[in-house]
Amino acid sequence: MRAASFGIPFQPVPGLTGSDVPATSGFARIKDPYSDQWLYAVPAIRPDWAVVHVPAADARGNARVLGTPFWDRVITRAARRVIVVAEEIVPSAELARQPELTAIPELFVEAVVHLPGGARPTSCYPLYGVDEAAVWRYLELSRTPDGLACYLAETAALDHAASGGPA
Amino acid sequence: MMAVALARLVGDGETVFVGVNSPLPLVAATLARRLHAPDATLITIAGGVNATPARLSAATTAAGLAEGSASIFDNADFYDFVARGGIDLAFLGAAQVDAAGHLNTSVIGPHERPTVRFPGGGGAAFILPLAGRTVVWRASHSRRVFVERVDFVTASGRLDRVVTPLCVFRMDGGRLEVESVHPSSTAGEVARETGFPVHTSGVPSTAPPSEAELTALREVDPDGVRAAEFSGQRPASR
Repeated sequence: MRAASFGIPFQPVPGLTGSDVPATSGFARIKDPYSDQWLYAVPAIRPDWAVVHVPAADARGNARVLGTPFWDRVITRAARRVIVVAEEIVPSAELARQPELTAIPELFVEAVVHLPGGARPTSCYPLYGVDEAAVWRYLELSRTPDGLACYLAETAALDHAASGGPA
Repeated sequence: MMAVALARLVGDGETVFVGVNSPLPLVAATLARRLHAPDATLITIAGGVNATPARLSAATTAAGLAEGSASIFDNADFYDFVARGGIDLAFLGAAQVDAAGHLNTSVIGPHERPTVRFPGGGGAAFILPLAGRTVVWRASHSRRVFVERVDFVTASGRLDRVVTPLCVFRMDGGRLEVESVHPSSTAGEVARETGFPVHTSGVPSTAPPSEAELTALREVDPDGVRAAEFSGQRPASR
């Protein structure tokens, strides 16, 4: 995806030596034209969509990421279109007070969804952390189709209760 | 024992990496910085450099683990840093480890028709040849894990040691050899549970955790994050 974000067909990558991954993934080896170093040419991945969850965005799609952005910057540049899911919709003027926190500018963004709690049971820093008990419960219940259905029904009921919608 | 054994492998002044789903190495590296390696630099996949979170968490990607870090070192930064040789010591997990020190985090069974497919180990394939050395840990020790030849070589490279609930392995002459057997186990058990031949005669016992190590361990990990990887055991509290 870093190649896609740069608009080039592949990313030269060191390492991967001795691994079966390049062969099974069809990665070609290339030689640095300026030295004798060999690298793998990992093909670009250009997703049709990227969906990122953020603590705050404005209605135009400018999205603020607090703490570690992980791959948010790379995937929102690599994808053709981006959907921002936000805990809170804030006025643009508020984001403009600290524009350096706006990891994703509006020009990449197709749509903004206001969905508080949308990252649960994983985290949305700094608003909530990983709900480890819920993840453990998912791991236990998802072993069987009935268990998974049970987990999904429980989770939907909790979401509806939290949003004041139908139980 | 595993957390302490892993911590002892961190050298003072080293730049150390702890990745995704790595509760034991997170506790171990934090412990090492508290004890013998105060000048080690700990970089985590959560994006912190020598972060000081109030609580460790079993989810080692949690952004909260970067709290107290004076900078954010995100994932692209980290991979670039690995590529230019910046990491002295990386901790990596593996589903299978073989006698030659290959790691498998990809599939069990044939690659085209696997019986189990894991989420992937692309990071390991990249990191193992490029980090100065890599320590692998695994919270279970059996013939399913330690095999003569892995089903698929996800990663190969500068493996240094492997720490298990029974022993510490060290790469020696291109093969994994038992370096020490934990006091809770025996050479016979290690040989029985390992799917490749190991030399256990004259192998010393791993030094049991000292009072200082145990005290510091309870201080850095009061929630028992170190227990998260052992089946059926959860961190005692949040």
